[in-house]
Amino acid sequence: MAHSAALSSEQYNYEIVKKFAIASIFWGILGMSAGVYIASELAWPFLNFDIAQITFGRLRPLHTSGVIFGFGGNALFATSYYVVQRTCQARLAGGTFWPNFTFWGWNLSVLIAGVLYLFGYTQGREYAEPVWFIDIAITVVWVVYFLIFTITLIKRNQPHIYVANWFYMSFILATALLHIFNNLAVPVSFTSLESYSLFSGAQDAMTQWWYGHNAVGFFLTAAFLGMMYYFVPKQAGRPVYSYRLSIIHFWALSFMYMWVGTHHLHWTAIPDWTSTLAATFSILLLMPSWGGMINGIMTLSGAWDKLRTDPIMMFMITALSFYGMSTFEGPMMSLKSVNALSHYTDWTVGHVHSGALGWVAMISIASFYHMIPRLWNTTLYSTQLVYTHFFLATIGTILYITALWVSGIGQGLMLRAFDEYGNLAYTFVETVAFMHGPLVARAVGGLFFLSGMFVMAYNIYMTITRAKQEEPVSATAAAQA
Amino acid sequence: MATPVKDPLTGAETTGHVWDDTLQEFNNPLPRWWLWTFYGTIIFAIVYWIMYPAWPMFDSYTKGIGNNITYKTDAGEEKSTHWNMRALLANEMQTGEPALKQKAYLDKVGAASYEQIAADPDMSAFVRSYGVGMFGDNCAACHQAGGQGVVGQFPNLVDDDWLWGGDTTAIETTIRGGRMGYMPAYSKTFSPDQLNQVANYVLTLSGQPADAAAAAEGQKIFQGETGGCYMCHTKEGKGMHAQGAANLTDKVWTIANVDAATTPEAKLEAVKAVIHNGVNRKMPVFGKEGRNLSDTEIKVLTAYLQQMSAGVAAK
Repeated sequence: MAHSAALSSEQYNYEIVKKFAIASIFWGILGMSAGVYIASELAWPFLNFDIAQITFGRLRPLHTSGVIFGFGGNALFATSYYVVQRTCQARLAGGTFWPNFTFWGWNLSVLIAGVLYLFGYTQGREYAEPVWFIDIAITVVWVVYFLIFTITLIKRNQPHIYVANWFYMSFILATALLHIFNNLAVPVSFTSLESYSLFSGAQDAMTQWWYGHNAVGFFLTAAFLGMMYYFVPKQAGRPVYSYRLSIIHFWALSFMYMWVGTHHLHWTAIPDWTSTLAATFSILLLMPSWGGMINGIMTLSGAWDKLRTDPIMMFMITALSFYGMSTFEGPMMSLKSVNALSHYTDWTVGHVHSGALGWVAMISIASFYHMIPRLWNTTLYSTQLVYTHFFLATIGTILYITALWVSGIGQGLMLRAFDEYGNLAYTFVETVAFMHGPLVARAVGGLFFLSGMFVMAYNIYMTITRAKQEEPVSATAAAQA
Repeated sequence: MATPVKDPLTGAETTGHVWDDTLQEFNNPLPRWWLWTFYGTIIFAIVYWIMYPAWPMFDSYTKGIGNNITYKTDAGEEKSTHWNMRALLANEMQTGEPALKQKAYLDKVGAASYEQIAADPDMSAFVRSYGVGMFGDNCAACHQAGGQGVVGQFPNLVDDDWLWGGDTTAIETTIRGGRMGYMPAYSKTFSPDQLNQVANYVLTLSGQPADAAAAAEGQKIFQGETGGCYMCHTKEGKGMHAQGAANLTDKVWTIANVDAATTPEAKLEAVKAVIHNGVNRKMPVFGKEGRNLSDTEIKVLTAYLQQMSAGVAAK
């Protein structure tokens, strides 16, 4: 085993995977710390300290970019480069330069964008806040990423392309499409950080949410399904449950996600028919989403006992369960009548986090625990700490989403309540006062999740340090043998 | 290479493909319940498309059938149209139970005088219920949720001490047209001695401890042409509603926070600061040129504020 892994590290470009994996954990801690801080600001507003740079409006995009593009993005680069090499039995294309170019290009873009947010420079488009020149830099990086991935696929020493790679490919293509169109803008001047969007009014809103929801669909879902399709069967040591199901749900998912963004704009100035299409395609998306969950969970059939002994498997199954739950909740919330209650409340925020913490973060964490020891040709420093992390993450996620169900559904019900005179029963500020308790619980939930990330960082640090200490020893041992 | 393998555990066959030494795939059929639920969502979507506006056509869209909404236009004519958000809102506002109840009350209150409202427990109760929301959405941002205001910035509305008058006519005028609270700054008019003297005098008006000799000099300035304070605050210092000038004799401090100052020196400094800097406050217009509250809304808010200051509506 150790022997073949040592061979793998020569056969494949592991250096780039290591870099992205470590960057991902770094961004995870940074982005989630920002998240815990802004969650605390909502519960205790004095934490703004009247410093513009750390107010909610400035820190919030740092949190979202930090976790989506920093943590999630780096995790996707790391795992896609790892998976595509191993399932194609081919070394990553682009030599050492181009993969490194994607690493530095991507991370500097997120970093500079994040610093600019703090000083108030943003496009004001949710999840597409980076200013125009960073958008251009990201586009260049992305094209290089696409070429590296595609050329590696072409060079493969395998007759078939493994399912995980389909998902990574659709993620790379869709993200390119979304990023370019949503960021079409005219800069005020070449020396200005400001720009005007090419779209206006309802078209602008629909373009933005076409982007916004597909960022969820392709960046945060399809790509992480790719991760799931490699790491779950690997960790379980079992074949994927159904090839047929993977084909059907892959194409259904890819086709349907593109239609649903407008469900973020129900009951606004958009045409009614766009609302209907968005709602119905969201319902149609339910089973294609669950196809991925079923394929993941059923892969474990014949190896259920692993849930008792393998905390990495526990992470994976919990991630798939949260994926199933939030892809059920999403279509329900996209129905106009449900949306009338949920829209503009914390329910939406809770829903996103059941996907982001429960699914995206947990499947990434599980993949890292599987992949990182193999990258350094060692074993995990502590399985016990993985258990600790698992319980911190699960408690944190459940606390978080439950608190925001209470806050969101509670506020939604208060805002639509009438008294016996036909008047609205509550003022807006009364609903805000009601939310205080749940918002405190949410911040605590976030803190649980964040502390789990610190446990992971420590565990990974010790794993790598130990691997480096062992290296010369095993090299000598190999020489003697 | 592509030879299907039978799994000893489940009996299912793999596709025969192998990646990365161990990765394989079964070729299990789609779960039946999954497939049927998927068909179910397709049927749901089709029914939805038939009933509601759904598919874009060349220059229009499918309108949906069996789902018409009837409502009255602003001109009063009855209209029946395919389902759409605007018609739905109009219909709900015209036929919904809460909307009808509220409208009946608003019509009744709109036609009643302030005396009639105060005398009728039902209308008074409606005013409290409607007024809470009106106050919360329009007033509380400055005057605070309980109407207690912020000393130095936003007047207290629940202490029955009114700068611009507390009868319904005055309150209504204030809401409708907003107010500009202005007192000139005396930084250039008064010498430091004179400032000290006037401030001492102002403190004596409400029985605060002060330097009697200085206050006597201050009185001359206050009541004479040097200061001209009497023009707005009157010779007795009782203030004037027409100018929004504060009553200085009633121990209610709206700008200089004398109550919060613990030592006589601090109280004196607080008063001196106001005279030195003057006052410049603005309450926005809530009538037609501003927030555009309707006449009935302004009436409800006025009646609510009057109840509030009298302690009736205290929550």
